[in-house]
Amino acid sequence: MDFTFPKEYQLLRRMVREFAQNEAAPIAREIDEQKEVPRALIDKAAQLGLLGVPFPQKYGGMGAGETGYCIVMEELNKVCGSLAVIIGGHIGIGATAIYLDGSEELKEKYLKPLARGELIGAFALTEPGAGSDAGAIRTRAERDRDDYILNGSKIFITNGKLSDVVSLLAVTDPSLGVRGGVTAFVVEKAFPGFSTGTEEDKMGIRGSDTTELILENCRVPKENVIGEVGLGFVTFMKTLDLGRLSLGAACLGAAQLALEASVKWAKMRHLFGKPIAHKQSIQFMIADMATEIEALRSLVYRTAWLVDTGQPFSREAAMCKLYGSEVLHRCVDRAVQIHGGMGYMRDYFIELMYRDARITEIFEGTSEIQRYVIASDIFRQEGVRILP
Amino acid sequence: MRIIVPIKQILDPGGMTVNRRAERIFINREEYIINPNDKNALEEALTLKDRQGAEVVAVTLGPERADDALREALAMGADSAFLLTDVAFDKADSSVATTVLGKAIQKIGNYDLIIAGCQAADTGAGQLGPRLAEYLGLPQITEVRQVLAVGDGKVRATRRQGKGYAEIEASLPALLTIARDANQPRYPPGARIINAYREWAVTVWGASDLGLEAAELQPLTQEKRISFPPEREFGVKITGAPEEAARELVQHLKAHRVI
Repeated sequence: MDFTFPKEYQLLRRMVREFAQNEAAPIAREIDEQKEVPRALIDKAAQLGLLGVPFPQKYGGMGAGETGYCIVMEELNKVCGSLAVIIGGHIGIGATAIYLDGSEELKEKYLKPLARGELIGAFALTEPGAGSDAGAIRTRAERDRDDYILNGSKIFITNGKLSDVVSLLAVTDPSLGVRGGVTAFVVEKAFPGFSTGTEEDKMGIRGSDTTELILENCRVPKENVIGEVGLGFVTFMKTLDLGRLSLGAACLGAAQLALEASVKWAKMRHLFGKPIAHKQSIQFMIADMATEIEALRSLVYRTAWLVDTGQPFSREAAMCKLYGSEVLHRCVDRAVQIHGGMGYMRDYFIELMYRDARITEIFEGTSEIQRYVIASDIFRQEGVRILP
Repeated sequence: MRIIVPIKQILDPGGMTVNRRAERIFINREEYIINPNDKNALEEALTLKDRQGAEVVAVTLGPERADDALREALAMGADSAFLLTDVAFDKADSSVATTVLGKAIQKIGNYDLIIAGCQAADTGAGQLGPRLAEYLGLPQITEVRQVLAVGDGKVRATRRQGKGYAEIEASLPALLTIARDANQPRYPPGARIINAYREWAVTVWGASDLGLEAAELQPLTQEKRISFPPEREFGVKITGAPEEAARELVQHLKAHRVI
């Protein structure tokens, strides 16, 4: 058992850290205020391969696997939540759906430019009446000779506005239900009948857009079906499984920064004649943060190893998302407390981290859904089928 | 065009704490990096490669771990890499380093330019570039700010001179050393990082590969002791109305027997 990162991952981490520190950190506050990550920054990230980290090089990717992708998400989210969420929506779910089940033609046509960052991707599942309850989606896809005609709407879509290509779930046969009656499609934003609706005004990750997508008689060629007709739900669930792991990695990065900032502050801030580092109340908070972060790090990279070595990982990936988001929640909360008044001020980055962190317990499956996934996997092995 | 870039791997100064009272350096995090100024040299070579096409060869003298510096150079865009490592090189000073690198460069051969940094951030000797030019009998331009043109058997470059810049021309092959902040070194693209370790090779040469005998590897200098320069003391700040301040300043100058 060797827990050291191979050298290529060590150099990758250093590169991403320097990139994030030099290019993203100085404008993190501006990104939050302007509600936009500058396109130039996304393009720079693309040139370094950061928009195609896990995909093989033959598909235009970096070829760094899930371990490499977790490293990138960890380092980016340490510095800029909005940039990490854009890349997470693009790679982690948008392009991954095509990578997992798309035909070679679809991979050639869409995955390659997505991995190179020439196109931006998104993933559209949620609807006004369906989110965690994916089976309740209403968006319809009706066959019309060699095409499908799509009608309906998707809400809360990460990169809804920014993206060029969307992996999207629609009902092809209502009589068959979620297993058999739902199909995944790649839909270009340029297709007639596909438009964006309301853009949400959010608490955090404000540089990443969350936008409604509207389909009105949108004609999609049958070649754009991801995988097999009727098996879209399976594709989407497999995609979300992988996405959960990288979200755990992203939480790890932000939690680590909350700890580092708190340690720095505790050394600097004097109270009753001594740095607050000497107060047991502060030490205990720091020790708890560090311990939970270390446990999260082990969980994330062991799960990445499971993925990269082709072993089952669904339960562990759900644990990464659940534990990661909750560790981050506790870490940023303690960081605000340790920073006192300074932690509440908009001039200081702790306040931004606090707002950016909250979504991680909600998007791509709430903590409650993750607990359901974990528990149902445990009981499944005991021969008991748990229904949501 | 072939450009050879000698680089040095150093201990990351960001991972050290200097304790002046104990006259000791504590290493908190042992991490090795490419000497930052050598990255400027590599960047200059890669810029020429982008601009007019060139084969960039990175070469380093050091222990086995210096392999990482070469992998990073490959990831940044170098085409091939040579690691010169041998127990016989362990005590190398500037003179021995020149001999080893010079021999290796002659063995690689067929070069048009050698682009080096001006100074390593660890020893700060600043001798390698000029010594190497002498060893190989090449014209040299030191502390280059910008390489203007390479072609027709000539290189033209600017260097700081006095308060302005001088434009200097040399015939090829030539050696350039690049000023510390002449450029902003690029980030290595991720896919090249992966390939640098998984796909590409570093050639390793020892003393026998270079035909070097022990007698040629005797250092001319020896490190006896490391000491710390005296700490700079804070001066006296003179405030108040100009006339009073001037009077006080004159008193200080007299007290220190300056006037």
